Parts: sequence; structure tokens; C-alpha cells
Amino acid sequence: MISTILLFREALYGALVIALACSVLGVYVVLRRIVFVGAAIAQLSSAGIALALFLGGMGVSAGLVGHPTVFALAFGLAGAMFFGLGGGQRAGVPPDATIGVAYAAAAAAGVLLIAKAKGGEAHDIFLQGNILGITRADTLVLLAVSVPVLLVHVLFYKEFLFVSFDREMARTMGYRVTFWNLFLYFTLGLVIAFAMQFAGVILVFNFLVLPAVTGLLLASSMAGIFTVAVLSAVLAAGVGFSLSVPFDLPSGPAIIAASAVLALVAWPARLLQRR
Amino acid sequence: MTALITFDHATLGYGRRVVLSDISFDIPAGDFLGLVGPNGAGKTTILRAILGSLVPLRGTVTKAEGLRFGYVPQRDSVDYNFPLKVLDVVMMGRYDRIGLMRRPSRDDRERACAALEHVGIVNLAEQPLRALSGGQKQRALIARALVGEPNVLVLDEPTNGMDLVSTTQILGLVRELHERDNLTVLMVSHALNEVANYVQRIALVVERGFRIGRVGEIMTEETLTQMYGIPVDVDEMHGHRIVVARRGADLGAHAHD
Repeated sequence: MISTILLFREALYGALVIALACSVLGVYVVLRRIVFVGAAIAQLSSAGIALALFLGGMGVSAGLVGHPTVFALAFGLAGAMFFGLGGGQRAGVPPDATIGVAYAAAAAAGVLLIAKAKGGEAHDIFLQGNILGITRADTLVLLAVSVPVLLVHVLFYKEFLFVSFDREMARTMGYRVTFWNLFLYFTLGLVIAFAMQFAGVILVFNFLVLPAVTGLLLASSMAGIFTVAVLSAVLAAGVGFSLSVPFDLPSGPAIIAASAVLALVAWPARLLQRR
Repeated sequence: MTALITFDHATLGYGRRVVLSDISFDIPAGDFLGLVGPNGAGKTTILRAILGSLVPLRGTVTKAEGLRFGYVPQRDSVDYNFPLKVLDVVMMGRYDRIGLMRRPSRDDRERACAALEHVGIVNLAEQPLRALSGGQKQRALIARALVGEPNVLVLDEPTNGMDLVSTTQILGLVRELHERDNLTVLMVSHALNEVANYVQRIALVVERGFRIGRVGEIMTEETLTQMYGIPVDVDEMHGHRIVVARRGADLGAHAHD
């Protein structure tokens, strides 16, 4: 069993990097009640990949097929900035409805573009993610994105926390609330756009939500939530991945199942803690 | 007395929509001003102009150099989902002094404890903010405003949703801060009866109307009847002024909210 897992160790390393980065950002996503923003940004990134493949197939630019990352990044960041600015609130559309529209439209666009792309279903893997396909180079790319983002979050923890917790007070104290808000969404868009290409929409969504929920259930301080979220994400990635290989299960859903088990165990633990 | 804030023929509004026209008044150092009026009349608009987040459409709003506000937002605007200790929340009032990429120091922590002591809840410093009662939360938010060593304490509807006991305690605390520390206080509220018995001056904002003066000047039947547009009685009980709309008055055209 161990030798089989070692065979895919590069994929495991990649999954652990994604788990680490997404679980840290997920604490803000859950506490700010914007969980579906994560799913919508991931879906927009996947639509970007689909567009790159479609255009590549049309011969508009053959080079794009090899570099869908640029499109994933552009679409993901554009979505993050849009949601960071309040979405369609100015037009009177509630924020959750805007997120729903973006998610549905991006999902449909992705499927339709892939259906008509050269190579068709063979490209589905770009939308669904293929965690086992992660190579050492991919892991290095993920590290190159995740490490600076996490560093930013360590350095500007105070600012991100303040504008998330009480933006009115922050504004009164001279904080550029819109800037800090957009900066937070930018880091979110960046991590999701890269992670989504390897892990797929659902696994990224899982890492953004479930570990933070587990942290919220088990910890009673911000430091505690971050710690539990990271540990549970890494544990779920390690256990889910390690069990999926010998049992011939899809790795993504196995990791999600492990995350769900941890959250479900945390639930009664929280209830016992409150007694 | 030195004016900390001066409205000079200021017209306030959003885009083309004018909320208040041509208002002029000062807030001098040491003032205790109640900004009172029904919801939607323009209290928040004036507050935004004072805090600097709204530029007047015409006229000017000037502030004394180096003026620092200690802002206490409405309790519901704070997100209690965040698992923050009371002390951590109070320390946020020093974030701008701490600066970017730096963590609160021992001195910041001591000042936050002193602010909590000042409002009488230092024993709750290590408690989660969300576990506190409404009155205790309000005290924590006042401590956060005080820890930044402000020149003006600004409270936005500090007694909203509170019971009689908590309301009395919070208003008593604010008056104590004003008297003990000679702190300039601006209190925004829709509850005229509550505010009138604590502040020195009242700025009354009604739809398209604005009047400012000492409590005795504003709290008269003539002024209030004229401002609200309905017959109003002002009585006194044990030294407290009480305002009531006369029974049978036509409220239909003046219903708020």
C-alpha cells in the first residue's frame, strides 16, 4: 500500500499545498459568509480554461491550449474583483443571487465550450481536475503562488481581520476598506484559479469551506480556527488521498469524504464542549 | 470655545438627491450633542459628513487639525460570528496607531485593559465578544472607541434594542465619560426622550428640517410641534423631560419607517 502511495507522492504533495492555502483563506470565506463566492470563482476559472481550449481548437491561437492558466487566472481574478466590489448590489440584485447567476452561467459556458472544443470530452479533465496528475513542476507552481499569498495573510492579518469584522469602524479610522477588501478577494481569486486547475471546482470548494467549519466548531479564537482548519485540511488530504490509491477510489471525493468526517466528528465535540 | 467641527451652509445628499440643505452649526470642544430624529431624516448623512465619508454637495464641513474620532457603530453592524475576545476587539481601536505589518504591543494591551476598566468591564477582557449581553457589548465597543484616545466620541444609536436598565446604564456611562474626562460627545439617536435627558444640546433632524440648540430651547411644545408637524406635549417628571404626541393627532402623513 505504501509503495503505491509513494508512486503518487508528487500528487500528494500538491494536494497538501492546495489544502494548506485554501484552508487559510477559507477561514475568511466562512466567517464572512461568502462560501459560494469560492465556488463561483472556481467555476469562472474553469470557464476560462474551457474558453482557452475552445479558441485553441478553432485555431485562433494554438498556443492557448498549452497555457489555459492565463485564461483561468483572468476569469478567476475578474470574478474575484467583481464579487469584492459587491457584485450587482448597485443594480439592486442581492449578492447571493449574483453569485448564483455567475456560478450557473460559468458552469454552463464551461460545458458548452468544451463540447465544441477540438478534442471534446478529452478536455473534461481540465474542468474536473485530476489530482493524481499533479507533477513536481505543478507542485512548485502551486508553492510559488501559495507561499506569497500566505505571507501576505500573515503580514496583513490585522487589516484583513478589521475590514472583515467591522468595516464601518475601519473606514472611520482611515482604513481604505475597498482596497483591503479587494486585496483579500484578489488573494482568494489567485489561489482558487491555480488550485482549481489541479483539484477541480468541488475539491477546491471543499478545502475552502469544510476545514474552516471544523475550525469554527472546535476552536474559540482566531488563532485556534486557523490552526484547526489547516490541520484538518492537511489531515483530510493525507488520509483521503492515501486511502483512495490502494482502494482504487477517485482521490478528490475521497478527500472530501475525509473532510466531511472530520467536520461531523467536530459537531458533537462542540456540543459536548458547550455542556 | 474652540469649534472642532463646523458646518458652513452645507448641503448634504447623495448624487442629485439632496437630504439636507444649507445647514450651519458648530460642535465646540467639550460639547455633548444629541443628533436626534426619525429614521431616514438625515442623521446618518450628517454623521457621514462629520466622519469624512461624505463630501457636502455645497458649502463646507471643516474639522480641527488632528481631530480623532472614537466611533461606536450600531451594535448590529459588528459581525459577532468572529470568535474574538473582548480584549482583541478593544485593541482594534489602536490599529491605526500600531501601523501596517506590526502586531499590538504590551503597551497596546495595557491601554486596552485600561479602557475596559474605564467602562467597567475589565473582568470580561478574556471573554468572547459574542457571549456578552447587549449592554456589555456596547461597553466593549465604547472601550474600543476610547482606546484610540479620541477628541470626539461618536455613538450611533447606542441604545437601540436595549431594555430600560441597559439603556439607562449606557446613557449614564456616556454622560460620565463626558463629565469626568471632559470628552466631546456626539450621540446619534432616534429616541428623543432618552437623549434629551442626558445631552447638553440637541440637533433635531426631521424630513427637510434641521434645528440645533440647548435642550431647553429645543424641548418646547412650540418647537417640537413645528418640527414634527403634529401637536406635541412636553411634560416634566422628577426633573426629566418627556415628549408625547398629543392623542388623536393625525400621524398618517408623518409615519416613519
